[in-house]
Amino acid sequence: MSSVEEIKSNLKALNAEYAKIKTLLKEERKSFGEELNKRRRKLQAELQVAMDAAEAENIEPIDITAPSAPNAKIPEIKQGSRHPLMTELERVLDIYSHMGFDVMEARQLDDEFHMFEALNFPEGHPARDGYDTFRTSEGFIPPAHTSTMQHRALKRYKKDLENGGKIAVVIPGRVFRNEDVDATHEHTFYQCEGVFVGKNVNMGQMLGVLKNFFDTYYGQNLNIKTQPGYFPFTEPSVELLIEKPKSLGGKGDGWLEMLGCGMIHPNVLKMAGINPDEYQGFAWGGGIDRLVMLKYGLSDVRYFESGKLDFLKEF
Amino acid sequence: MKISLNEIKKLVPAAASVETDELIKLIGSRLVEVEGKLNLAEKYKGIYIVKVVECEPIPDTHLHLCKIDAGAHSLDGPIQVVCGAPNVRKDMLAVWLAPGAVVPETYGEENFKLDVRKLRGYESNGMLAGLDEIDLGDDHSGIIEISPHHKYTDAEGKEHEVSPGDAFAEAFDLNDIILDIENKSLTHRPDTFGLVGFAREVAGILGVKFEYKNEPFDADSQDARLEDTVSSGSPQIVQKTATHSEDSPITVTIKDISLCPRYSCAVIELSDALSDDKYLTDMDVFLAKAGMRGISKIVDITNYMMLMTGQPLHAFDYDKFLKIAGSSEIIIRAAKNGEELQLLDGKTIKCTTDDILITANDIPVALAGAMGGASTEIDASTKRILLESATFSLYNLRKTQMAHGIFSEAITRFTKGQPASQTLPVLRKTISLLGGKLLSVVDEYPSPTKKNVVKITTPEINSLLGTDYKTELIIKTLENVGFTVSCDHEELTVTAPSWRTDIHIKVDIIEEVGRMLGYDNIPLDFPTRPFVGATKDSLLDLKSRLRTILSDKLSAHELLTYSFVSSKLQENVGEDTDDSYEIVNSISPELQRFRQSLIPSLLDKAYTNIRAGYHDFSLYEINQVAKKSYGKDSDNVPILHNHLGFITLGDYYSMKVILTTLLCDLGIKSPVITELKAGSLPYLEPLHSALLTVGSSDSPLKIEFGEIKSTVRKRLKLPETVSAFEIDLDALLSNIPDVSASMPELSKFPSVERDLTVKIAKGATYANVSAAISAALDSEKDKGIIYQITPVSIYQKDDASKTKNLSFHLEFASRKKTLENDEIFAIMNTVSKNIEQVGAEIV
Repeated sequence: MSSVEEIKSNLKALNAEYAKIKTLLKEERKSFGEELNKRRRKLQAELQVAMDAAEAENIEPIDITAPSAPNAKIPEIKQGSRHPLMTELERVLDIYSHMGFDVMEARQLDDEFHMFEALNFPEGHPARDGYDTFRTSEGFIPPAHTSTMQHRALKRYKKDLENGGKIAVVIPGRVFRNEDVDATHEHTFYQCEGVFVGKNVNMGQMLGVLKNFFDTYYGQNLNIKTQPGYFPFTEPSVELLIEKPKSLGGKGDGWLEMLGCGMIHPNVLKMAGINPDEYQGFAWGGGIDRLVMLKYGLSDVRYFESGKLDFLKEF
Repeated sequence: MKISLNEIKKLVPAAASVETDELIKLIGSRLVEVEGKLNLAEKYKGIYIVKVVECEPIPDTHLHLCKIDAGAHSLDGPIQVVCGAPNVRKDMLAVWLAPGAVVPETYGEENFKLDVRKLRGYESNGMLAGLDEIDLGDDHSGIIEISPHHKYTDAEGKEHEVSPGDAFAEAFDLNDIILDIENKSLTHRPDTFGLVGFAREVAGILGVKFEYKNEPFDADSQDARLEDTVSSGSPQIVQKTATHSEDSPITVTIKDISLCPRYSCAVIELSDALSDDKYLTDMDVFLAKAGMRGISKIVDITNYMMLMTGQPLHAFDYDKFLKIAGSSEIIIRAAKNGEELQLLDGKTIKCTTDDILITANDIPVALAGAMGGASTEIDASTKRILLESATFSLYNLRKTQMAHGIFSEAITRFTKGQPASQTLPVLRKTISLLGGKLLSVVDEYPSPTKKNVVKITTPEINSLLGTDYKTELIIKTLENVGFTVSCDHEELTVTAPSWRTDIHIKVDIIEEVGRMLGYDNIPLDFPTRPFVGATKDSLLDLKSRLRTILSDKLSAHELLTYSFVSSKLQENVGEDTDDSYEIVNSISPELQRFRQSLIPSLLDKAYTNIRAGYHDFSLYEINQVAKKSYGKDSDNVPILHNHLGFITLGDYYSMKVILTTLLCDLGIKSPVITELKAGSLPYLEPLHSALLTVGSSDSPLKIEFGEIKSTVRKRLKLPETVSAFEIDLDALLSNIPDVSASMPELSKFPSVERDLTVKIAKGATYANVSAAISAALDSEKDKGIIYQITPVSIYQKDDASKTKNLSFHLEFASRKKTLENDEIFAIMNTVSKNIEQVGAEIV
């Protein structure tokens, strides 16, 4: 490549040629001028490249793999973190909100009425044992499922039904079970409940809405299936399973149990002052912890409430 | 619950022609979750029935050197096996685990595989198995002996007597699949806790009518009536509910029919055929498949009947009973508080009034539904038994189960609510299996339950399911599993069979139809609803904003910690434990009280993280807290508060900047900071803490913040200065201003910058000086002055120094014009004057 000086002298020589224009015939001048301009632009471009190359010789290279220049302070950026359960919960609520569901948070201390009676568990019924509830000395219950909020949700939004609308609400919350803690069991975990009530609401719609949620959540059209379940507060009741999504390594064969759902039992509607002959609805509830564990391939649920920065700063 | 597919196929012939995987899939999608399956054919592979043809003791050992005939598997002559069992002898039929077979007891775990090896110098090919090794019982006293007359049906349907070389699995119906059923979702279906009921459901799922083949357990059939029981059993004395006979040997009195709706029982003189023999039986295998063990012929038969029908039975030694009673009066009643009873397992329990007792003339002989008493236990010398088939209140039995920790197969079934209708038919069948001589039967059933009838229409069914099923299909589906249906066009009158005590209302029928025809066949759809936007919950929205500010901007880490804390932690931080809701059944003392504030939990985790090597961090949590003193809401449940708790490893000032930045981001620009006199957070050091107040409305926001008391830190083993704040989020929410109203007007004109250092007495406050500067600039408001005062440094030479220097950076401009030199001079003059008035001087 030519040096900067050479290009500069070439450029000077070229500039001198412009003087010839005057000596040419009028019809020749245009093409002659264009030719000169073309050569000048080329030389100017060459000059810029040559000057950059000359400048580069004066610049010391740096070690791009090092965290700082020699003798310099290592730059530091302090980063915070959000709890993965809360991040995931916000995402879940976001999808339901876009589907038109209101959000109402669950309370962490409740009573026997909301935990059982309002959900059609007869008093003293053995089905109550399945929930391994904690109790306070006053008989209050840290809820064992977010379904505890169904009665409140139905009462709060009942007026929407009377105005010709529907009840559409999701209820996230922290729930508690008196069971031994191990890698897959926590006594404290998060659930999200959903309630939908209106006229002519049916089970096909329930399955459609829930499939749509998981399709959106996993960004993929997923197969679903059900298996019969038993909850006193819904009938029919089923457990919903989804095909293992591709993002979780699914190859179209495995199934994941995601949530329990069903058509709201007429007694539950009646308890909230809603006429079950006029309105019907569906409800569901599923764990948030499991979504996060699947997403990040976590093997131990105990990390979530461990408060350990080693774990949290990964998020 | 374990279910044998072979037993199901015996009861439902149509199931035999369905592929096993398809059958399991259908059960899973239309009846109950199948948690696992065990292929017994794999488990019992390489195991044969053999004849011991030679058996010589090995000198100086307990061992025998045996030669066995294994039929087609010993074509080269008898095979040598060393056996240590005391009962091994020439000519017996035994069970041989050939080399290469896995010992069934270890199957699925360590999978111990047999081979050819030497024992005391003698080659042994595999082993002769005991009941425990083959995983069909617990007996370890000897090897299994097979009766030479044992019959079985082979795969082609031909009946054989066993002969050496026969595959053990084939001879004992072990080419089977055992399903592990999640019974929680069958809580409302007592009938499915018997194989007959389970099989009936399988028939329904397959769309075929369930027919009783070999086992007449149909509680609703004509031949289940008492008269038939009697005529087939040729009893000497019979007593019926309606006609009490004076000379009857036993009477049954139910004191409270809500505790025991029906009590059927029989007295049987046992036949010799019931004495136990030494052979392995089909019954042993049947029980083992269900996870039970053979005990004695009588108990095995009652267990068999329970597994088939769901109806638990109990056998008393009738002669012992008579001796205790002094008469033949059976009284069923509630227990008295503290009443004692020694049970079969040897334990003596103290009853509560929720327990139900079977008494011999008022003397307790059994804890109803749970366990028999020791005093009437049957044994080898038992001649006559009193056989009970009854039904009890599931509510009481649930309490019995909890109070005495009894979780037997029987009580598990009783607590689902076994129907009263089946007690007598089951008793009848049991009697016929036991044989012997029936002496008496009593059936006390004061108030027979009526069958449940539900009226429903086809459109009602389809409306809830979202289907388009035809009336004929619905009727057939219900009739397949024992419902009777009459119909008038699309109006159905459905009568539930007696064992379906769970059928009461329309949805009960809808569930049956939907489930049996497959929920997965329901077409997916979406609800229609008005186009109304969902409203956003403002508190949830705030929580989300807080996470953005705290985690993304202020570099804090969000934690979730347990809602329950220890009394010790509360005491350590100075909280009043009596103000906390106490968990009476907590898992551990660490989780005993519902927390009153979040900071103690965060401090606890700060310790964990400091130990893990972190020394510069901020932690926060957004969660609910409760105090008894908050009171209760209109539902009469505790009022809960939503809090944000925050801690940072740093002093008061580092906490203050985080807190004020947070509030500023939320639009709260000028909070008032005052001394913290008597705060509500007992763990804050009052002299290094402050109260921040926002708003003067009815509900001002008050935030206590500052350093944790050194005594608290010491108790929590926190070495460094830690500061904290806790905010009530409802109060915060009501004090966040409308952001659009707080946008300041900016100046288009150049601004003036001045640095200023002020010397002032050590004890004077920063606020005094900065307020003086502000006041000076505020007084120029008519010129449209806008300004910013930034603290630069606070310098004090040493502790002994009487003064300190405060440095400020001032920036101001006019919104109206470019400030002239003389105007700037005038403003700075006012600043100087104001500073001097508060006793400071400009350096």
